[in-house]
Amino acid sequence: MAGLCILFKPEACIGCHGCEVACKSWRQVELGLKWRKVDTGWQGIYPDVKSIFSSTACKHCEEPECMLACPTEAITKEELTGAVVVNRDNCIGCRLCLQACPYGIPQFGSDQKMQKCDLCHNDLVGYQQEKDKYCYVPPCVATCPTHALRLIPVNMDHILPSGDD
Amino acid sequence: MGRKIMNNGDLLKNGNLGLSREQALALASQKGEKVIASICAMCGPTPRGCGIYAFVQEGRLTRVAGMRECPVNRGAICAKGQAAPQWVYSPDRLKYPLRRIGAKGEGKFKRISWEEAVHTIAETLRSQKEQYGPESLAILAPAMRTYNAYLKRFLTVHGSPNYGHSGICALQRAFSFMYTLGDKPEAQIDQSDLIIYWARQPVFSGPAMRAPKALLQAKSRGAKIIAIKPSVEPDVAKADIWVPIRPGTDAALALAMLYVVVTENLIDHEFVAKWCYGYEQLQEHIQKYSPQWAQEITGVPAELICQIARLYATTRRACIDLGNGVEHAPSANDAIRAIAILIAITGHLDRPGGNIFNVASPGQPQPKDITLRERLTPELGKKLLGPEFPLEFQPFIEGYNSAYYRVLESVLTESPYAPRTIIAPGTQPAVSTRGSSKVIEALKKLDFYVVIDVTRTADMNYADIVLPVTTPYESDHPFEAFGGLIRARHKVIEPLGDYKSIYEFFLELAVKMGYGADFWNGSIKQCLDDQLQPLNLTYEELKTYAFGLNYEKPLPRTYENYSQVFARKSPRLNQAPYLAHGKVEIYNTSFKEAGFTPLPEWREPPESLTGTPHLAKEYPLILSDYHTSKNFTASWQRNIPYLRELQPYPVIHIHPQTAASREIKDGDWVIVKSPHGYMKVKAELYPGIRPDTVMILHGWWQGCQELGLPDFPLLQGGANVNNMYSVDPQKAYDPLITAMSSQTLVEVKKL
Repeated sequence: MAGLCILFKPEACIGCHGCEVACKSWRQVELGLKWRKVDTGWQGIYPDVKSIFSSTACKHCEEPECMLACPTEAITKEELTGAVVVNRDNCIGCRLCLQACPYGIPQFGSDQKMQKCDLCHNDLVGYQQEKDKYCYVPPCVATCPTHALRLIPVNMDHILPSGDD
Repeated sequence: MGRKIMNNGDLLKNGNLGLSREQALALASQKGEKVIASICAMCGPTPRGCGIYAFVQEGRLTRVAGMRECPVNRGAICAKGQAAPQWVYSPDRLKYPLRRIGAKGEGKFKRISWEEAVHTIAETLRSQKEQYGPESLAILAPAMRTYNAYLKRFLTVHGSPNYGHSGICALQRAFSFMYTLGDKPEAQIDQSDLIIYWARQPVFSGPAMRAPKALLQAKSRGAKIIAIKPSVEPDVAKADIWVPIRPGTDAALALAMLYVVVTENLIDHEFVAKWCYGYEQLQEHIQKYSPQWAQEITGVPAELICQIARLYATTRRACIDLGNGVEHAPSANDAIRAIAILIAITGHLDRPGGNIFNVASPGQPQPKDITLRERLTPELGKKLLGPEFPLEFQPFIEGYNSAYYRVLESVLTESPYAPRTIIAPGTQPAVSTRGSSKVIEALKKLDFYVVIDVTRTADMNYADIVLPVTTPYESDHPFEAFGGLIRARHKVIEPLGDYKSIYEFFLELAVKMGYGADFWNGSIKQCLDDQLQPLNLTYEELKTYAFGLNYEKPLPRTYENYSQVFARKSPRLNQAPYLAHGKVEIYNTSFKEAGFTPLPEWREPPESLTGTPHLAKEYPLILSDYHTSKNFTASWQRNIPYLRELQPYPVIHIHPQTAASREIKDGDWVIVKSPHGYMKVKAELYPGIRPDTVMILHGWWQGCQELGLPDFPLLQGGANVNNMYSVDPQKAYDPLITAMSSQTLVEVKKL
């Protein structure tokens, strides 16, 4: 299966929320909704206690449950990027996708239609077509100071060595 | 096509954050936008701002990306930086100059012209200067801002020394380090095998900058990380050892660590013999500060104190990154000095992987300093309202300073005299310093109060004149110079209202006051060109460099620069050296002569479990506050919806056990009450905090219109933690370096 996904490395995350706000600002996400969300979890008990961060968005599953559950076929998986995207014209706001998604990803805004991370699919494709030499990296990935988020092919079974400066 | 994306090496190349100039231009042209290379301003305009590409659609700033070419952030941008457009277009922006027409605090204003505003201020200052002397003007310093030099220049030309520096930030560390070591040495984290982050927040104070990367790189190469602070923040999450210390007790911990290294003889004998003054006195003095003694005060187990002291002393490449948290206690100077002495006697000073000196590059031209330091006189110093440091030690590195709170207090006490005008540029005294109720009283009594800001401020309703200034995104000046990099500011959008830049305002006011000759006759261009003259550059020329210009060649790093640094002259007018004996001043004779303790000691906060046990029954928990956060800069930006969503309500961090015994659940509204005030905030059950301590972010007052969140009261029943602390002149200050206390005792009850 071709396609891309955003890999999250918890050990590199510093919990700055830059990805979360970059997503909202670049994609003009409605107030109250989050396409990407940073959370803090806890391990252990005081004084041997640690906080751990997660940065979660749609995982663009290989076999998306949301897509299978959608009665209007509004959800599709793009061949080129592997992005799971919503055709909002077809969405009827039934929220079956939310029930089906094991990660609770689908969001519903003021228009009651499903929205979520689309991997910045259009920009990824647009860029590839028009400006071959300029690739596009989703803003959440591009802004992460510690490379905790990385855009990788889904079938890549190892993480590239870090090119950190 | 699919294969093409998959094989695109660029896409997968890690380390390429943000956008390159080529990419930014291509993206803008594809979307029909303009892109401007500029400098992020969300930490205020500071010399070390992150490089950004700002995208503009039909004259409107839409979003920003990190500038990959910028050495400060290398393409990354934090949450605050990403939210910039919502700050620029906030409904909370001031729109035009205002004159107060109602009673103080009432919030009734009338729109006036800039001309009238500047004229009114100039006339007031002129007549007050005649009647009360020029020292009747005080300017409250904001945090480190690019415009601070202009404020100092204005005061000096006017004839006042009353630059009101916070008394709780950066200069406190600088002072105690300089007068102990001759320098404030930097932790050389990238060479270190053991890093102690002490009262430091390496992540939220600049997430896109160097510090978080340095922390992660150190960890991945196997360096041991120790974090000393009362609660778990992201640095603790990455640390090997967390030392959960009670707020305000760093001096006790540092003294006990000195006890361990001295009594166990873990010192660098050669260094101590050759380069330290007063080690014998320390040996005797330290005997009363055992780890068992410190355990009682700090809440840190004695074994843990011994363990970290030994680890530090016996690891050759070990450094201490000391943060702002240590500058908020009556024993701050003692803590910083004790840590400086610890660094020195264990042989970690100016050695690889230790704390290394900042050694100036001789002969390299710098932009001109415009603070007019050469005009400072002893007579000027004698007029200080409330010296931040004793007069014997002024001027310090930023010139003459009064302490921020003491300036306001003098309005009430009229001691040594009453200031008549206070200007607050980019600072909000009602929420930025301790003793908020006294501050409000002072603002009510003050003759003339001028607020200069971008958005409405906590206390502008007490102002006589309010001036709306441009955000840096709406201005094409000044330049930012830091660490050998100088950058022009490129205007991103046209000003959205009847605005001037703060620089334009001060130049104009100076000309109106008759100070034109000292203020480039009001010309910003001449002002900038004058500063750039040593670099043989005009501002127009500088603007042609999209990424700025490196004006300093880095010198090869040298170590053990003791003879040079220990002989360094202080900025006092007599240029006396920092160190009286040309050695590390363990036993500080300069302090002794000025009537202060020559060796570091322990002093309790105004209220604490060990210092005021009689209060602990009614108020059993320690309260302190955080000064940085992931989403807000100090007391600003609560109005920015994308940032406010991350933390809609003021929350107090409370340990789940502490909460359970009070039947408090996560998200409950609670009342936090100290002997000085009370707050209504939400409880966040926080497993990573000492069970005897609760903490809250400082600076809460502002609502967020877009999210329907109202303002909070500034005083009782609000969320302003500064209203909770003692400002008792005998107890709440470090006697030498101000360092107002941010510790008290509280009880927390469900509302």
